Amino acid sequence: MTQDNRSGRPQGRPPEGDGRISRVEASLRGPFLLFFVSAVVWLLAASVLGVIAALDLGSMVGVLRDCAWFTPGRIATAQQDLFIYGWGFNAFFALNLWLLAQLGRFEFRNGWLAQLGGVAWNLALTYGVARVFAGDMTGYRLLDFPREVGPVLAVAFLLAGFWPIVAFARRPTGHTFASQWFVVGASFAFPLIYLLAQLLVLWQPASGVVQAIAHSWFVANLLQLWFGASALAAIYYFLPKVLERTLTGYYLAPVAFWTFFLFAGWTGPAALVGSPVPLWLQSTGVVAAAMMLIPVIIVAINVHGTLSSQGGWARAWNDTTLRFVSFGAVAFTLGGLLAGVFAFRSTSAVVRFTSFATGLEQLLVYGCATMVVFGASYFILPRLTGALWPSAKLVHVHFWATALGFLAAVVAWLVGGWQNGQLLANPAVAYADVLRAGSAWCLVLKISAVLVLVGHVAFALNAFGMILKSSAPAESGRHD
Amino acid sequence: MKNLNTLLAGVFLAVALPFGALVLSGQSQLGGLGRAAGEDGGALFPSREPGQAIQGRAVYVSLGCVSCHTQQVRPAGQGSDIARGYGVHPSVARDYVLQPQVLLGQRRVGPDLANYGARAKSDAELAAFLAAPAAGVNHPPYAFLTAERSAALVAYLKSLRQDYSSPEAKLKQ
Repeated sequence: MTQDNRSGRPQGRPPEGDGRISRVEASLRGPFLLFFVSAVVWLLAASVLGVIAALDLGSMVGVLRDCAWFTPGRIATAQQDLFIYGWGFNAFFALNLWLLAQLGRFEFRNGWLAQLGGVAWNLALTYGVARVFAGDMTGYRLLDFPREVGPVLAVAFLLAGFWPIVAFARRPTGHTFASQWFVVGASFAFPLIYLLAQLLVLWQPASGVVQAIAHSWFVANLLQLWFGASALAAIYYFLPKVLERTLTGYYLAPVAFWTFFLFAGWTGPAALVGSPVPLWLQSTGVVAAAMMLIPVIIVAINVHGTLSSQGGWARAWNDTTLRFVSFGAVAFTLGGLLAGVFAFRSTSAVVRFTSFATGLEQLLVYGCATMVVFGASYFILPRLTGALWPSAKLVHVHFWATALGFLAAVVAWLVGGWQNGQLLANPAVAYADVLRAGSAWCLVLKISAVLVLVGHVAFALNAFGMILKSSAPAESGRHD
Repeated sequence: MKNLNTLLAGVFLAVALPFGALVLSGQSQLGGLGRAAGEDGGALFPSREPGQAIQGRAVYVSLGCVSCHTQQVRPAGQGSDIARGYGVHPSVARDYVLQPQVLLGQRRVGPDLANYGARAKSDAELAAFLAAPAAGVNHPPYAFLTAERSAALVAYLKSLRQDYSSPEAKLKQ
């Protein structure tokens, strides 16, 4: 599993000579595959909408132009919701459950409850997105669904996403790992933040701009404490596991965990610099964003320190799982550093309201979290299905299309956003000229949206082909 | 780090403390704000939305306009909003106290609309623009809007005004 893999064949196959999967993994197979398949289906749907949005098809094609369903506002909203709640949550339901079950030797005897939660989550999501297309949305990003969807999603989360905490509680040994802390934190924090945000933004709306404060608090928590924490858990697991080496400076990991959770919740108002909210709130957000540099730097020491020693980068490049996971780790560091620097008033004044914030967000949710999930899939799926990935070529297409597509997009968002902000800061430049200056970046975003879709299709073909050919006995797992 | 209860308690505090300090304190500080008269006394601002504008707000939300338009004017030193004519003074919290949904927005693909009513075209011109923007203008066409919904949206956009004086943003110094 750790030998160089110059053929590009993904690792993670079951141990030679024993085709059966462990009892722990056998018990996870049903819920894991439900979450995983749902996640990939939503990822494809979000990618198609991403292409429609980037190519502006709603405005160009006659049939779509005359249909309210395809207005840019609805397409963008549905695309974000499908990506975050469809792909992101299903993928981490699967990955977090697998991680904590592995680390805690947890045999999952109530898989049907998790599957029930998964079905409820996906049905509620389908309903919510249909209502968004019909124009019944709230206007609050990532809380867009009609408010009746919120309680269903919360209950579904408790059924589908709470099991890692049970696995942690029932672990047979006292020793714990950083991955476990991050997953337990993410699984416990999300229902709290989601219910509080639902309450103060949709059910009993706070007064005036306090809604915007509550909303910014929610978005920051959602992105950092669910996507960020879950992705870090996977990075802290796969890096030492595949390299068979202890992380550099691992003794600092508890500091990274607590500072990450301590400061992330305060960063929301950094997105409100210049908005009509109290200055002390804005300053608190800016300071918290700067303090987030502490966990970002510690994670960098742990991860990049490990990769930089004993040929770690070379091995990561030749291992499919590590190639994606390392990509995610670099994106996390870059995004964390940029978020800290560009939270300050002077820089925020330039990039506020531009695509720069999208670039920062995508560094976390796509560059880091999504790439890490891809890498984890290449490790986990062969173990659960007892099969190999059908096509090494599709693995290469997947990596290069998503990596290049994402890099092109993130450069367009960040550099284009900075240029856009500088032009907007000069009132002598007409608004039409500002838009015209950004047209080259729009072309880059169109190409990247198509590239990313190609990568996702390659991944889906490979993954579904593997699952359909799967012959792993679910009930006859071996003892580890 | 081995004790689940300690871990959960720590995470709970990490979520609850910012929520209390940012959101509940914000509500405590701003929740009592109401309409107020300017320095010369007289009418109270912000004005109540006309009924048609309330319907128009629903159309605005349903089309996802908030994805591309903000409704907040930043102070001098934080961008060029006032110099660009988006408003006559920076937006303040009081401007939003009557709004059931505060649609500040996070992205400007199009111009800010916080004070759009003060610079708006005529109703007919605005309705025509929304139905069929001129070639080269970066705005989607909303030809599918019924006359009633289009009129409501126009009424809402024209109701967006922040060109009055308030205790926090006086026009006369």
